[in-house]
Amino acid sequence: MRAEDERYFERLESQLDDAFDVAERAKRRGGDPKPEVEIPTARDMADRVENILGIDGVAERVRELEGEMSREEAALELAEDFAEGRVGDYESKAGKVEGAVRTAVALLTEGVVAAPIEGIDKVEILQNDDGTEFVNVYYAGPIRSAGGTAQALSVLVADYTRALVGIDQYKARDDEIERYAEEISLYDKETGLQYTPKDKETKFIAEHMPIMLDGEATGDEEVSGFRDLERVDTNSARGGMCLVLAEGIALKAPKIQRYTRNLDEVDWPWLQDLIDGTYYDDAADTDDEGSDTDADADDEGDGNEEDAAADGDDAADDEPEGPPRVEESTKFLRDLIAGRPVFSHPCAEGGFRLRYGRARNHGFATAGVHPAAMHLVDDFLATGTQIKTERPGKAAGVVPVDSIEGPTIKLANGDVRRIDDPQDALEIRNGVEKILDLGEYLVNYGEFVENNHPLAPASYTYEWWVQDLAAAGADVQAFEDDPRIDLEFPDAEEALEWTAEYDAPLHPEYTYLWHDLSVDAFCMLAEAVADGRIRDETLILDYTEPVRDALETIVIEHRQRESEGHIEIDDWRPFVHTVGCEPRQTVADGATLEPEQAPTVELERTWTDDDLSERARTWGHEAAGDNAIEAVNEVAPFQVRERSPTRIGNRMGRPEKSERRDLSPPVHTLFPIGEAGGAQRNVADAAKHAETMSDTPGVVELQIGRQCCETCGTETFKNRCPDCNERTTPDYRCPDCDQRLEPDDAGRVECDRCEREGTCVETREIDVHDEFRSALESVGERENAFEILKGVKGLSSQNKVPEPIEKGILRAKHDVSAFKDGTVRYDMTDLPVTSVRASELDVDVGQLQALGYEEDIHGEPLTHEDQLVELKVQDIVLSDGAAEHMLQTADFIDDLLAQYYGLEPFYEFEDRQDLVGELVFGMAPHTSAATVGRVIGFTSAAVGYAHPYFHAAKRRNCDGDEDCVMLLLDGLLNFSKSFLPNQRGGKMDAPLVMSSRIDPSEIDDEAHNMDVVSQYPREFYLATREQADPEDVDVEIAEDTLGTDTEYTGFEHTHDTTDIAMGPDLSAYKTLGSMMDKMDAQLELSRKLRAVDETDVAERVIEYHFLPDLIGNLRAFSRQETRCLDCGEKFRRMPLTGDCRECGGRVNLTVHKGSVNKYMQTAIQVAEEYDCRDYTKQRLEVLERSLESIFENDKNKQSGIEDFM
Amino acid sequence: MPLEAAARLVSELTSRGYNAEREAVTRLTAADDPRAALERVLEDVPDDVLVVRAEHVEAALATDAGGATHSDGPPGSSADSTPAVSTGTHSAQERDCSTRSPVETVGSSSANRETDPAVRSLEITGDMTGESTGTGEYSDFVSVFRDRLDRLGSKLRGRVNHRPATAIQSMPGGSEAAMVGLVNDIRSTASGHWLIELEDATGTFPWLVMKDREYVDLVDELLCDEVLAMEGTLADDSGIAFVDSMYFPDVPRTYEPSTADRHVQAALISDVHVGSQEFMEDAWNAFADWLHTEQAQHVEYMLLAGDMVEGVGVYPDQDEELDIVDIYEQYEAFSEHLKKVPGDIEIVMIPGNHDAVRLAEPQPGFDEELREIMSAHDPQIVSNPSTVTLEGVSVLMYHGVSLDEVIAELPEEKASYDDPHKAMYHLLKKRHVAPQFGGHTRLAPEEKDYLVMEEVPDIFHTGHVHKLGFGKYHNVLAINSGCWQAQTDFQKSVNIDPDAGFAPIVDLDTLDVTVQKFS
Repeated sequence: MRAEDERYFERLESQLDDAFDVAERAKRRGGDPKPEVEIPTARDMADRVENILGIDGVAERVRELEGEMSREEAALELAEDFAEGRVGDYESKAGKVEGAVRTAVALLTEGVVAAPIEGIDKVEILQNDDGTEFVNVYYAGPIRSAGGTAQALSVLVADYTRALVGIDQYKARDDEIERYAEEISLYDKETGLQYTPKDKETKFIAEHMPIMLDGEATGDEEVSGFRDLERVDTNSARGGMCLVLAEGIALKAPKIQRYTRNLDEVDWPWLQDLIDGTYYDDAADTDDEGSDTDADADDEGDGNEEDAAADGDDAADDEPEGPPRVEESTKFLRDLIAGRPVFSHPCAEGGFRLRYGRARNHGFATAGVHPAAMHLVDDFLATGTQIKTERPGKAAGVVPVDSIEGPTIKLANGDVRRIDDPQDALEIRNGVEKILDLGEYLVNYGEFVENNHPLAPASYTYEWWVQDLAAAGADVQAFEDDPRIDLEFPDAEEALEWTAEYDAPLHPEYTYLWHDLSVDAFCMLAEAVADGRIRDETLILDYTEPVRDALETIVIEHRQRESEGHIEIDDWRPFVHTVGCEPRQTVADGATLEPEQAPTVELERTWTDDDLSERARTWGHEAAGDNAIEAVNEVAPFQVRERSPTRIGNRMGRPEKSERRDLSPPVHTLFPIGEAGGAQRNVADAAKHAETMSDTPGVVELQIGRQCCETCGTETFKNRCPDCNERTTPDYRCPDCDQRLEPDDAGRVECDRCEREGTCVETREIDVHDEFRSALESVGERENAFEILKGVKGLSSQNKVPEPIEKGILRAKHDVSAFKDGTVRYDMTDLPVTSVRASELDVDVGQLQALGYEEDIHGEPLTHEDQLVELKVQDIVLSDGAAEHMLQTADFIDDLLAQYYGLEPFYEFEDRQDLVGELVFGMAPHTSAATVGRVIGFTSAAVGYAHPYFHAAKRRNCDGDEDCVMLLLDGLLNFSKSFLPNQRGGKMDAPLVMSSRIDPSEIDDEAHNMDVVSQYPREFYLATREQADPEDVDVEIAEDTLGTDTEYTGFEHTHDTTDIAMGPDLSAYKTLGSMMDKMDAQLELSRKLRAVDETDVAERVIEYHFLPDLIGNLRAFSRQETRCLDCGEKFRRMPLTGDCRECGGRVNLTVHKGSVNKYMQTAIQVAEEYDCRDYTKQRLEVLERSLESIFENDKNKQSGIEDFM
Repeated sequence: MPLEAAARLVSELTSRGYNAEREAVTRLTAADDPRAALERVLEDVPDDVLVVRAEHVEAALATDAGGATHSDGPPGSSADSTPAVSTGTHSAQERDCSTRSPVETVGSSSANRETDPAVRSLEITGDMTGESTGTGEYSDFVSVFRDRLDRLGSKLRGRVNHRPATAIQSMPGGSEAAMVGLVNDIRSTASGHWLIELEDATGTFPWLVMKDREYVDLVDELLCDEVLAMEGTLADDSGIAFVDSMYFPDVPRTYEPSTADRHVQAALISDVHVGSQEFMEDAWNAFADWLHTEQAQHVEYMLLAGDMVEGVGVYPDQDEELDIVDIYEQYEAFSEHLKKVPGDIEIVMIPGNHDAVRLAEPQPGFDEELREIMSAHDPQIVSNPSTVTLEGVSVLMYHGVSLDEVIAELPEEKASYDDPHKAMYHLLKKRHVAPQFGGHTRLAPEEKDYLVMEEVPDIFHTGHVHKLGFGKYHNVLAINSGCWQAQTDFQKSVNIDPDAGFAPIVDLDTLDVTVQKFS
């Protein structure tokens, strides 16, 4: 670690210590459940892992292995230790496997989630039908929090340990295989899976799985076939197992394969088939060979690979060669719903063009989009909006990058223009007739590494061209230093000059999308150009539809003047040369020499159609001759590379988020008031509530924990004795014999005599009125300090310890609300940023300097707001909303310290600039560890920008994930484990521990795959044309610096962006009102985009949104519950009395006609308008008739006007 | 081989849009050159005729007595036309199959349905097509359940000394009480007893069935919202009653079903699923051909208990598994298949859950557009459920969606997919085709509960589960037809092996069942 990094962390830690001291002092005085801060600081991951597992020696071994290998490898290494008894004290083979599996999951989740203990129930050894033994792993629901990779690897580790301790493979019975398939679909229907394997896929996995996956029943619904199996305990879906199989094995197959390759003991040859999807054809064969031994399986696997390779060769030999292209994938279009538009169909022309590179606000599952494109897709894309994408991953967060090419549009006046300025986009937006091209789409190399996706052919861009130029022998440095030359955006003459002088390919700025043009169209275009004329340095072509279409296809800027019958192209020289035409100066009729008349330029075509070679004529990807690039290269006087061979389809996923986290309904205090507060849970109402005239107002019967004062013996529910102000302790009793009990070392309370668990929870009458009044008095507030103070109905924690109402009063005063654990939270979509400018963060250079930023990224002293500085790993950027909320929270904390704890205020903020430099907690759902962060500035984008390492420490990536920030002192003061719900998963999303500093090797390793260079080598671009494996290309990624002095620094980027908050601040999805408005906008946009097939969009919206909604609501209608409008009582069936049996009130349906058919007419209209398939239309027709049949009286049909004619 | 020849003729006729009486087909096959004869007949029949009758053939053959040349006769293979394999393992008696006529008996008079149409009788009751008056209001639902209690309760009120729930609540502890009501809730107590809440128009009252009492076995059979009566003793605090006996509306043990006065048969089939890739066209054709044979001469009625076609949008991505994707074309194809059935067989059909009508029960019969498509054979299309009385024998036709629920809720030994008729017994006992609300079965509220079995049927006919099974419950014949769809991927995934290609034939004079196999 460098000295400056050390200084940075020490500074954070000393700031943390200061806050900690204040919190400790406060805690000692207040009436909190514990008299000390309840969030311990963790030293390192090894510690966390050992503590969470309770297996001695793990931490030491983890520290040993840490420097030497990846965590996955360490997990496998530890599996060996377990198998050989070097770690853990296990007698049985099952125990060894269990230890290894739990350790693996803990290790892969950095010991921050509950999955290793709560997600794996047990491991047992069972018998195969042939008498051999196999391993059965029992998973439970919370395995979800481990994530797919850890889930999948837990299976691999189990298999590896199994092989090491000498247990046989699991041989699934046929009914068990079928059961897996049925169960996965049941679970998907009931709960939903991120990825649902098809039945065939599930069966294929189940058949080959070398260990048995089993688990706890998690749902109520049971499978209908394959019930009561001998080796499966339940007929319900086993949620943990389903997750591991579907989201683990099926989804992460490529990742597991990386590790199986390196292990001799385990061999999963079927993974290749799974990845390739070739199990469909092979299924029958493998069925027969299913019972064969390992060795056979190996042979088979090898054989397949060879076959596959041979097939590949054959294909290459048989078919004419063509340009390199990626395969289309339609997966991302699945489950399209209304209001979330498709931006591009798979690999569609006119869609986003893949450009390689990493912008400074980019990487780690994000996609760089030009801000002008964001505006032109009607603002549906904003910074942080999630998109579901075709490749390389499944989803990505959108970031604005304006150093890439913007979209090209056709305006109503016939102008075809490329828009590179977001401001222009806003100005011309209303005149856009067609979006011909969405512009470039920046993806970094690391994404391909992370997803183990073969490199897709690169666009020909400036970064590549400049290296081509250097390779051709030009002195690029000299050009760069020459102020008269703009290498990236040269003028046409220069570009042509360079091709002539250095024999380098044509500059990308003048390279058009020839590969989208067919050879025939190219010849036609060349002919048209030869017939064209030059006037005022503008090429004039005759207007014909084929010419127009060809120009739109190659995405060249031009002006269509249909009424005048011509098309105009500026900057015509490179274009004319590319189509193989030569300009000839001619002097018109030597006799009339008029000086003001410019000499006419005539264009001459230097080639004929017959000159083209066979290869050029038939060059194509989908059809022979659909790609003119070879023809171009034969006729042009210079080399022309494929401009944009890879298009990436995508659609909108979730909108970005920046919102306060409120429970529903919001809660100010975790104090129970039962039903007395009404539906609003208003504490003031509860304080006045009386059930009957004879009851005392404000006295409510509640379930609450009983505490006892050790000093004076007073019974209370408070943490401090109301009589003597001493701390009280929980008063546990046996429910049978009322014997007083003490908790044992493990915290369990059991009555030895009755063998029953003791509890301190009792139902007692609480005078809410008195509690409320005295709390107001103790903090010195009046009731008009806040609008409403909301409590909770009841407590769900084990001991039902209530929070002091005083805290709630102060929260209500400052309009902040508590989460279930007592903290105040603000949610933001995660996005990465590695370098920032003071100007975009709304801070000044002085503030940055005060935070320890001294140099910019080039090592120059920091003096100016526009200089880029490299972000320190724990510094975060708050959205405007978050900053506002943090200020409110800080005011709340100050009041809390002063008015409740009797200390000095801590923050005393005046405006948001005061927030800069303050510490916060970052905390992600499904985890149990918070990470300390420091505020560095603010952004208008509705996202939380931070260093990718900070996100990875919280176990988030940036593909649309969101998590929360809390103000440091709020967490320290108000969090208590005693508030957490007593149920499985209750300990998730709670800061049980905090990491004060980030160790880059102890974070989610996805972040290590981010590339950190300022330029990709030329070899990289060439390798993309071969669709090489990303691992085979040499680009430095973050992993390479792990454990070195520079592990916290050197995050360089290839592309800059003017501001990290360009483009719309909010997605149109959030600003449009109703679902109908969103859908109209979605369909409207689909018509404008050349890359989108609007019929398909309409079809999918109906199929995946309207129909399920209609069908589901119709089903719900005919089997619905009813509810009393007066008392809220629910009835499974309509009561025969007609009225509520509880209160005599009016009972009504819960699903009405209106909610059933709300989308019916819209769906029919959309199907008509967008010309959907008959199948879809007929389904709608049948449904519409069903609705009529149910909701209309046959004898009293609504009559049309014709009835009266 | 007459069957083969007949089959050809029939398919030729149907392909030209005609339907034929079996007698007509018989006469055509008997002609020297059936093909030429067919041509002559078709030239002669009036344009508005859809069904070729014997007299048309007679007339056509008479006008042209000689000139036919001998073309090649039908091949002698009969491998695929061996019907009459009875799989009935139940009370059904093996029908005497020896009447199958050998080739040489082909003549003008042997294989016909020479029935005077006047002898036939067919009457429909309980058809609610065009009578759907519910508008989906809360009050509609309440009336349905009240109607159920009124009508089924009337069958129980005579048997016990019943009191309304509110009256029982105010009776002194220890007194004897009885109540008639809908089952509102069934739950077990901590000590293993069962608490059953009965509801009537005044309110609810809890009844406790002790785990050691004989009636405890019946608790397993109970479904929510069925009507029953309970008799027992009130607890000391009158808050609960201990059940001494339980009564179901039931079919009387002594029930005597009506029978036809002559030997006449009905084919009871269901679940044709035309349009599905798994539709067994060959089996269906074999069945239709068999109906043209002499062996089937007494089959004068055909009842179809729903799922004529595979439908559209019944489950996700169904279009990928459809042979015919267009719903109207599915019905057109079905109609073509129906035309192969002899024109002189009376057909009654009800919709099922795959058909293009509402899914909620009761389901009205098809709308005009679909009826028009299927008009060639002129079937009677009525609602699901409906009762059709054939020459005095009443047949309650119900598609059978509730069977899934009965099988899921009841213990395996009481109801299973392997013995679908046993699940039907429970419906007969409850006198309701789909008692439980809120589960699998969907309910469309109408002014009355069309799903109640007001009268005891002589035959109860269902389909839906694609399993063949029949048997008698208190002398009522319960019969679940198999299907004409081979095992689908879905069925495979849930381990259901359908009984496909069977046609159960019921003797209406004896209520005996013979199963003809065509697959």
